[in-house]
Amino acid sequence: MRLLLVEDDVAIQGFLKRALVESGYQVDTANNARAGELKALEGIHDAFVIDLGLPDMDGLDLIVRCRAQGISAPVLILSARRSVDERVRGLEQGGDDYLTKPFALAELLARLRNLLRRSSAPQNDSVRLQAADLQLDLVRHEARRGDHLLQLTPQEFSLLEYLCRNAGRVVTRTMILDHVWRMQIDPATNVVDVHIYRLRSKVDHNSPTPLIHTIRGVGYVLKHA
Amino acid sequence: MPKFLQATAAWRISIWTTVAFALGTALAFSIVYFLVANAIQDRSDAWLSGEAEVLARVSADTPRDHLYNRIIGEVAELATQELPDERNERGQRLNSVFFLESDPNNNASPLWVGPGSVDTFLKAIQQTKLVPGIPESIEVEGWPTTFRVVTRNENGRMIYLGLSGRGARHLLRTLTGRFLILWGSTVLMGFLISYMSAHRTLLRVQRITDTVARIGSEDLGERLPQPVNSDEISRLAKTFNHMLDRIQSSVNELRSVTDAVAHDLKSPLTSIRGALESVLSSEPSEKWRDSIGDAIEGVDRLLSALDTTLDVAEAQAGALRLDRSTVELSAAVKQLVDLYQPAMDERQHKLVVDLEDHVVVDADWGLLNRVLSNLIENEIAHLPVGCQITIRLRSREGSAMLVIEDNGPGFPPDISTRAFERFVRGKHSHGHGLGLAFVDAVVRAHGGTAKISGSPGGGAVVTLSLPAIVLHPA
Repeated sequence: MRLLLVEDDVAIQGFLKRALVESGYQVDTANNARAGELKALEGIHDAFVIDLGLPDMDGLDLIVRCRAQGISAPVLILSARRSVDERVRGLEQGGDDYLTKPFALAELLARLRNLLRRSSAPQNDSVRLQAADLQLDLVRHEARRGDHLLQLTPQEFSLLEYLCRNAGRVVTRTMILDHVWRMQIDPATNVVDVHIYRLRSKVDHNSPTPLIHTIRGVGYVLKHA
Repeated sequence: MPKFLQATAAWRISIWTTVAFALGTALAFSIVYFLVANAIQDRSDAWLSGEAEVLARVSADTPRDHLYNRIIGEVAELATQELPDERNERGQRLNSVFFLESDPNNNASPLWVGPGSVDTFLKAIQQTKLVPGIPESIEVEGWPTTFRVVTRNENGRMIYLGLSGRGARHLLRTLTGRFLILWGSTVLMGFLISYMSAHRTLLRVQRITDTVARIGSEDLGERLPQPVNSDEISRLAKTFNHMLDRIQSSVNELRSVTDAVAHDLKSPLTSIRGALESVLSSEPSEKWRDSIGDAIEGVDRLLSALDTTLDVAEAQAGALRLDRSTVELSAAVKQLVDLYQPAMDERQHKLVVDLEDHVVVDADWGLLNRVLSNLIENEIAHLPVGCQITIRLRSREGSAMLVIEDNGPGFPPDISTRAFERFVRGKHSHGHGLGLAFVDAVVRAHGGTAKISGSPGGGAVVTLSLPAIVLHPA
């Protein structure tokens, strides 16, 4: 997978490139819209990450120009602007997803994965999820750890399903609130952590190998060992 | 009077102009009536005096023989028919004239020409003090109207000539009747015209009000249509447009300032956060992991405070962008309760939820969620372990009332009056003091109110009131 990252802030460009490369992408970078457009027109990228506040041109205009020239790869917009209108305009003018600065790397990676999956062949949604010895039956809403049936509330099941779908990848509290509760709030209390503790006490109870891990400052990950 | 009419200025204006108009025309009519009545009386007095003089002359010239009564009677009869023919609709003569000649020194029966019996008239004449030569009105028993009487003293013989006021009364009644019909229709027409014109004029004011209300709550770029003439209402529209220009430019300025602040502070924070996160992903040793985690959490708190400050600043200046949709409040609250229930259990708080269904508001769902989560988090953060929290939702007279009440220690007295101001927080609070300021600003931006008070048991009560959408049961 080859990405084009158009971002004028050198520091942000630097850590983003490092993180993306670490996640296994090939990454080209551009510091301004002109350079970005030239590279985009090569037509070799699977996705774009474009900052809106570029020095020579608005990122939205860059997207419009690329779309006009037949570039169809998905675009993830980054912006420090707070406005809701801006988000709507970005998505209307050819952006595929929108992420407001500051963002967690985990969230950027998750959104990018989503975009790339959407643009490739649609995956058939399976009715079963499996991670290590954890099995989820999405039709019957049943979760098993080994042979042991877990007694989960519907909410806990949704939470576990979300962790399981992202098994091996870090999810942030914001992502959990957004996907499991459909809420864009920024809690000051440990409300998400309490849910995770409860889930963990059921999933990892009496098991020598815990599955749900806390990554301090970032979020949670479901992984084996 | 129906309530909706009382409420319109057009109704009041037209009522008052109509009353003034009606009183003025009624006054004008009474003056005319008075003048006409006087003219009629003058005319009949002149006629009576003239006829009485003729009769007196005839009486003086006629010898007192057996023909005297007949001659005088016929002359008097002729005189009565000389009157202008005043008849009513049924053709009856309206004027009744009488002639009476009596000699107080001579007890001979008086000479009488006229309707009815002489005695009643004689009695009426004797009761009234009549001065010769001056017309006087007398009342006669059995007659509905007064008689106008002229007296002459011909060498001791008294001559009375009387004319009934029936004709005059009929004329005046006809005049009054016609006036009342004309007056009624003119007043009604005047009322309609003044109501219509006031209504049309005030409709323009109403349009301005509606437009300005819509502009205020939605799009500041919209303007009132540029008026063609320059009357008071057009000047009102122009003034509003100028005011909107000023508001829009200051709102735009504030937005560009907050965007600039957001951009300038967030870009470096984003790279700090990103750098820390990439270090974490390179799996550092245990002792670094915790410090880096702490650093990231610190950055997050800083960013959250920054965002909320900018939101509060925008909301207080009326520059918050609302993405409105219909929100069923009970559903929104239930969702948050689901999210926060475990955190409540953790602190051994008892949560009582008492929600009325079908309370719908037109609101920004995302902002409303943040407001409600802010309030619930306040409870979790500030209450001692083991309290009871009650969330109540009711609809009252077009408002949705959401009450969050606890049985904790209540708001500290030093902040209870300023709790909605920015950066005001209790001594033992760990928050940034923006939560309630944000709640207040967002609720106001939605056209509602937020207030805090104490419960009878000493706990804290936060009451939000939002304009509700009235649902018509299908």
